[in-house]
Amino acid sequence: MTSLVQVQEIDKSFPLSGGNTYLALKGINLDIRKGEFISLIGHSGCGKSTLLNMIAGLDLPTGGTVLVDGEAVRRPGPDKMVVFQNYSLLPWLSVRENIALAVDEVMPSLARAERDAVVDEHIAMVGLGAAGHKRPGELSGGMRQRVSIARALAIKPKLLLLDEPFGALDALTRGNLQEKLMQICNEHDLTAVMVTHDVDEAVLLSDRIVMLTNGPGSMIGGILEVDIPRPRQRLTVVHHPSYYSLRSEIIYFLNRQKRVKQWQAKPHKVLARHGLEKVNLDLGFVPLAACAPLAVAEAKGFFSKHGLDEVQLVRETSWRGVTDGLVDGTLDAALMPSGMPAWMTAGGHGGAPLPVVSSLTLSRNGNGITLAKRLADEGVHNVDDYRRYLQSHQRQPHRLGIVHPASMHNLLLRYWLASHAIDPDHDVHLQTIPPAQMLADLKDGSIDGFCIGAPWLDRALADGHGFTVAGDLAIWPGHPGKVLGVREDWALAYPNTHIALTKALLEACQYCAKSSHWGEMSELLSDRRYLGMKKEVIWFSEASADGSSTVPHHLFFGKGVNRPSRSEHLWILTQLARWGEIPFPRNYVEILERICAVGVFSTAARELGLDAVSYQRGAIELFDGRPFDVDNPIDYLNAVPVHRDFSVAEIPIGVPRALAG
Amino acid sequence: MTISTNPTSSRGERTPPGVALWWKQTRKAILPPLFGIGGFLLFWQLSATLGLTKLAGPLSLFTEERTRELLFYPFFDRGGLDKGLFLHAMSSLSRVALGYTLAAVVGIAAGIAVGLNKGLDRALDPLFQFLRMVAPLAWVPIALVLFQNNQPAAIFVIFVTSIWPILINTAEGVRQIPQDYRNVALVLQMSNRNFFTKVLIPSALPYIFTGLRISIGLAWLAIIAAEIVMPGTPGIGFFIWDAYQNSYVSDIILGVIWIGAIGLILDRLMVWLQNRIAAGQ
Repeated sequence: MTSLVQVQEIDKSFPLSGGNTYLALKGINLDIRKGEFISLIGHSGCGKSTLLNMIAGLDLPTGGTVLVDGEAVRRPGPDKMVVFQNYSLLPWLSVRENIALAVDEVMPSLARAERDAVVDEHIAMVGLGAAGHKRPGELSGGMRQRVSIARALAIKPKLLLLDEPFGALDALTRGNLQEKLMQICNEHDLTAVMVTHDVDEAVLLSDRIVMLTNGPGSMIGGILEVDIPRPRQRLTVVHHPSYYSLRSEIIYFLNRQKRVKQWQAKPHKVLARHGLEKVNLDLGFVPLAACAPLAVAEAKGFFSKHGLDEVQLVRETSWRGVTDGLVDGTLDAALMPSGMPAWMTAGGHGGAPLPVVSSLTLSRNGNGITLAKRLADEGVHNVDDYRRYLQSHQRQPHRLGIVHPASMHNLLLRYWLASHAIDPDHDVHLQTIPPAQMLADLKDGSIDGFCIGAPWLDRALADGHGFTVAGDLAIWPGHPGKVLGVREDWALAYPNTHIALTKALLEACQYCAKSSHWGEMSELLSDRRYLGMKKEVIWFSEASADGSSTVPHHLFFGKGVNRPSRSEHLWILTQLARWGEIPFPRNYVEILERICAVGVFSTAARELGLDAVSYQRGAIELFDGRPFDVDNPIDYLNAVPVHRDFSVAEIPIGVPRALAG
Repeated sequence: MTISTNPTSSRGERTPPGVALWWKQTRKAILPPLFGIGGFLLFWQLSATLGLTKLAGPLSLFTEERTRELLFYPFFDRGGLDKGLFLHAMSSLSRVALGYTLAAVVGIAAGIAVGLNKGLDRALDPLFQFLRMVAPLAWVPIALVLFQNNQPAAIFVIFVTSIWPILINTAEGVRQIPQDYRNVALVLQMSNRNFFTKVLIPSALPYIFTGLRISIGLAWLAIIAAEIVMPGTPGIGFFIWDAYQNSYVSDIILGVIWIGAIGLILDRLMVWLQNRIAAGQ
């Protein structure tokens, strides 16, 4: 595979009125192989059409070069034919004449009859044989675009460039044309670059999808390989296992871009007040029952009570949004799965290790492993049934949904499966799916089950699509659920704010733990700002929805509930290493010391007069009774029944440093 | 097996005869203008008969013997300036044709040049905007000084009056060529000649025709002004001026009717031409 197009370090800026310049694209690098179909996707104004125009030669970059077949592009030419968004047919010429104009211009050496044959061939190719004599004004949008495509193909370009070719068409026409284009591209082994804002179109047509970040200074935010085999059919690609993950990947990217844009649109000055270094905080969360302390702290005024006047709760649709928000600094702090501080500190998110500290465990329990109802119908009622079911249905893919690799759901599910001799990587496939999508996937049978927190878990039961095969209380009662996490450099820059935030949330946790408040909390969380679902499905007590039970399922407050625990984070580190998420850190003692902001918690608890909760938990013991020796984690790792080939490595987290500014 | 007795509900069973149908369809288009014109003529005739104005009424076209002759015999030629009105109109029209053709050729060429070249546009636009405000009558003395001769001076006045709408509209038409069409030409690497004939002209054609249509009216207006002020040349303008000198009021009215009718025909002609050539855009 040789590259046909090489985009090298492209910059593009436009002069603005007033003498300034607007930097549209910055440092774009892209190699396009012969025969490849590439989509450029991004929000409007991100410069994707500009990039296309520069490949076409209609616009020249202010820095860098575009090479087509090894030659720098200096001007447009018929070897790089463009299919324009608004068709660009000449309205005074008929369909035939429009195509003939291009053919005559580009292939003057051919005889008249040969040129006519080329024109006829391409009119027939797009199925417009009967409309050859019509003017564009007499054609529908879809037909015009077909003429435009026929014109482009008739001159046999090396490279086909499409600028939102189907943007203005109705869904049915668009679908037909997409299939037609795909068929033509396959038959003629065309190389094509298409600008689009339609996620499904990009996944359907492309070999690779290039995602551009927002301007100014747009860059390539990511490139996705579409591994769906060709020839593709519009109606069958949606059943390919990659389809939805690609789709959600792009949608996540676009949403993330939108979030960053909104964040940039607001002023972000650090406001210091009441002896706190920063009182305007953006607090990330994912809508789950466990976000109750945040909602309560906001609604009951605990934030302002502790001087945090301007706390903004930012709802993310997945934990990935929380990770990215902390990485790029759009979030100050976040509700996160208890495994996330260790995971990010060890660099599990893929970037450089980013030390994240936790001063407070916000909730414990509240999870469960759910299997689809259809499995129960086939006689699967417990884990041993499930193992037998997997053995007898080996040919089918068995997917289980998790919300994040660093969440307790993943670790508990894996632990539970492994303890029952089911290898979580070989016998089943664990897939990261946003919580809100789990139910739909369970319903349509694309996953066997999931491990997830309330209220999604309860909704699956209430809707009758799933059944609980193992509750978390049966796996590890009192396991850490969600924690408060902030970047270490943030914590060092705003120490008093950190304590105030911990105090506000600890007080909220205390409020949440009272069974008399649960009804009110269900009502509060049902609001659109938080969960946006019926309050009947949000409950905090064990077992039932009627609220009569006062046995808590979620633990929000109590002895040893909230204090960050080094041994728990060590357990998490060993489990993450066990499944190959991170190498086991040789410097784990230092890492644990830095993750657990016990001092912040103790100060907060003391100032609230809640010294009693500052109590350490006992030893960790899960349902299988295997002891966890905190002094010998590597021996423990070697002893657990199923594990990946883990490595032990020093994780360079540097010295603690405060956020600049 | 239905028996329809209502002709309006089922067309084709009992259609009215041809003329009645035609009348039915066209009366709405014909009757109101007929009433309008008739009413106006009646009002005019009444006010003339009652002596409210000094202007003769429309009936004077028939009552005055001299005028009646001019009305019914437009083709006579007794030599010199004593000709039928058709011949007067023809010499005016030939003058217009010459001046207007000149204006069209120069106007379209200059318009394209200005439309394509931004620098030229900026240099000349203020001049054009200024010159087009000058009335045809004001050009007459300048033309006479310039050419020292009635015939070329008249043609110049027509030219200079009618060129501006053509020029300005052509320039605008060229400026308004959609970037899409230019991009198509760029991508296909069209030669300048092909771009000119296959993209530029067809694309700007509607604008050019708008200019031509406005100009034909202006040219016709200008000829009257030119001839009135330049006596001694045959033409419809001279005819009116001559009639005024001799106080033949009904002749003036007849001349005005000829002018209006010819102007209307010229305009319709341009519309017809425009629809034929620039159709489908």
